[in-house]
Amino acid sequence: MTERAPDERGGGPDSRDTATQGYIAVVVLLAVGLLALVWHELDVSLDGGFVVFVVLVVALRFVPEAVVEGRTQLSLSSTLLLSCQAIVGPAGAGVLGALLGGLQGRSLPAQYRVFNAAQNSVMGTLGGLAFAATGGDVGVETVGEALRSIALPLFVADLVQVVGNLVLLSGVVMVSGTGSLRTTTLPLLRSTGPAYVGYGSIALIMVVLWEPAMIGATSALLVLAPLLVAQWAYRQHAEDLRGQDQVLQVLVAAVEAKAPHLAGHSARVAALSQRLAEDLGLGPRGVADARLAGMLHDLGQTTMPTGLVRESTTVAAEAGYPARGAALLTHLGFLAGTLDPIARHREALDERPDGSTLVARIVGVSDTYDLLTAIGDPDGRVLTPTEALDRIRTRPGVDDRLMAALESAVLRAEVRSGA
Amino acid sequence: MRAVRPERPVAALAGVVAAVLVVLALYSSGSDLGTLLGSHVVTLPVLVVAIVLGEVVRIRMPSGRDTAPLATATALAVVFLGPIEGQPPFDVDAGLVVLVVTLALLLAALVRRVRGRAVGVPLLAARVLGVGTAAWMARSWGPEGSTLWDLEYEHRSLGVVALAMALVAGLGLVVELLLVAAIRAERQRTPLSAAVRDELGEAAPLTFAVAVIGPMVALMAPVLGLLALPVALVPLAMAYSAVGQFVRNRATNRLLVATLSRLTEEGGYTAQRHAERVSELSLRMGRVLGLGEAELRTLEYAALLHDLGQITLRDPIPGGATVLAAPSDQRDIASEGAQIIRQAETLGLVADYVDAQTTPYRLVREHAREVPLPARIIKCANAFDDLSGGSDEPADVERAMERILLGLGYEYDPDVVDALTRVVDDAAVGRVVEGEVAAR
Repeated sequence: MTERAPDERGGGPDSRDTATQGYIAVVVLLAVGLLALVWHELDVSLDGGFVVFVVLVVALRFVPEAVVEGRTQLSLSSTLLLSCQAIVGPAGAGVLGALLGGLQGRSLPAQYRVFNAAQNSVMGTLGGLAFAATGGDVGVETVGEALRSIALPLFVADLVQVVGNLVLLSGVVMVSGTGSLRTTTLPLLRSTGPAYVGYGSIALIMVVLWEPAMIGATSALLVLAPLLVAQWAYRQHAEDLRGQDQVLQVLVAAVEAKAPHLAGHSARVAALSQRLAEDLGLGPRGVADARLAGMLHDLGQTTMPTGLVRESTTVAAEAGYPARGAALLTHLGFLAGTLDPIARHREALDERPDGSTLVARIVGVSDTYDLLTAIGDPDGRVLTPTEALDRIRTRPGVDDRLMAALESAVLRAEVRSGA
Repeated sequence: MRAVRPERPVAALAGVVAAVLVVLALYSSGSDLGTLLGSHVVTLPVLVVAIVLGEVVRIRMPSGRDTAPLATATALAVVFLGPIEGQPPFDVDAGLVVLVVTLALLLAALVRRVRGRAVGVPLLAARVLGVGTAAWMARSWGPEGSTLWDLEYEHRSLGVVALAMALVAGLGLVVELLLVAAIRAERQRTPLSAAVRDELGEAAPLTFAVAVIGPMVALMAPVLGLLALPVALVPLAMAYSAVGQFVRNRATNRLLVATLSRLTEEGGYTAQRHAERVSELSLRMGRVLGLGEAELRTLEYAALLHDLGQITLRDPIPGGATVLAAPSDQRDIASEGAQIIRQAETLGLVADYVDAQTTPYRLVREHAREVPLPARIIKCANAFDDLSGGSDEPADVERAMERILLGLGYEYDPDVVDALTRVVDDAAVGRVVEGEVAAR
């Protein structure tokens, strides 16, 4: 459920904070109100099943969720919350949801944990009500009954969960102003929507085993085992991805060992390329390509004679380092989008803008700007930002939009460094 | 007459025992086969097809071995199935279970053969024995030959049945795993302990998942009927897909490291494919010397990157052969390479190995200098490839081995040279065959 905790980015104005706190208070009130209503209307009895779920929820606190590239893969808590709606009913699910949300994310600030608790509680109660309202009944005996009275209502409860989460999280985004609906909510739906189909199937197994197949609490053991395995794999995967990033750093280190005068250059070009790509409205893939291409644009220099490379970047470029760099990386699928920008970042500025891709021109501009202002021009003179911008403006491959993005990025960098 | 000694006794023994098991099953339960086919006209084909499909759609682990979790899970479902909603109860004895699973595995082997894939008979035997063990425990429980399902009457709880099933499934998988490890150790001539550790280490998580799916199918079948099979395969498929992503990404990481190793080749500093050859040789020697999967991966990366330091040289050394360079130059190249690699925290060990690869063995012996085994392996593998020029002509190999034996105990670790000798003598030693069947 806690796929995406509200961002902690930036202090923001006080009014935003107050609004966020007010919103959290409303959600908490909603959770408590729903619970009280259910408790009052239904004849609630919390039995052995409830106790088992409490134990599971507490145990889950010690199993970290597997997060790959900022996305929770296969959330065990979502599966548990869904199955308990059928097994212990809306009231029990509401209480368990609160416990689940409150226990998770030890490092989160208290107010977000309160929000998570309230959100999960609301989802638990509403899901339980949806299950009951659509004819949910666990006392079935035939396949037809199982499909009608367990599978279908569980699917509805699942849907309520997806939609409810989306609504409550959109609320956070709007109130706290930490992002737009387009950039946060839609990707969330796209990434978690299919996952919830999986959670639904697993909850179905757990409910069938628990009640009609009469296995009881042992079913949790059977169902959670393969999920824990999947989580293990995702955690390994996440670790490998971090490793991948570090190997890329080694490639940069190889460039800098070869050409010590370029120390820090690759990292700066990567950062500037990323900034320009973001400002020019490229999607996540394009931004990543720009950053990686900026980072690796000089890789080809490592395959050239050391004396030549240390002479100057222009000499190395005449000897064809951009194409060599791209050739080195051809068989790496995740770098496919960087090959063209790496191969063409030098000539992209000498041709008309429509002659080359935007990413190639972004990397070309970032590279040229950094070479002029940090490494020195062909005569070895280091230019001021204004001089460098003037010189870049005259290049045929630089159009107004690209130039404006570069100027604003340079300006922001100057403001930040207090210049 | 001369006694015929099989080249690989363990594999042969596994094959013979499995064959005996199948014959015994035919003898004891063969007469019921007709009744079985007649009464389970739906159940039986569904199970057999699921096993065959699972065998065809396999997943490749980072070590290059194949696993077929969907097939194994279904085979275990056959072991435990009892009442099935909408179908006659599947109350067959252990012998019939063995026959059904063997039939399905043979069909799958046929499909693989037709599609031009490898079929490992000893590994097939290991699976039959694993399933047979589980079937015997599940269906001939206690002196009266009761099944695990009968535990319900004793304990008044199906929860106990579920636990017992998961346990029996796990035991069956462990039997198979140990057999596979023994067969593999025999073929690669690696220590059994290392083979068992690798098998458990890489496979344990998926085994854990597979072990519960069979019982899950059997326990849901009284309610969901045969629908229980596809439903129970959903969580397994999720585990499968997670493992698949992780495996693909690991392959990418290896390619990325290999890219680093090509920088010196493209620049003309080292011979073409030198790093790849040293890495392959080092891996095989590492297996013979009993290194585990994680150590082998670090060794592989370090071997790929052992010459990285050469990119900062002003002029290439002749032929890129560091073994012929002055010792101080060798050390400089190694430490320069290590320094570059150290930019990545996760590659700290790799950098250590690259750094230590030039230390002569004499310093280990006389001055108790700590040099990790992987570094000693790389030193030896690199020297061999430099001296033989990457050629596998017998004359070149012999000349290289002679030079290395001259430095035995002084320059090179005798145990490592011994491993090199075995690897060079026999192309099968220490090599993992791509696509080889693993336990499950």
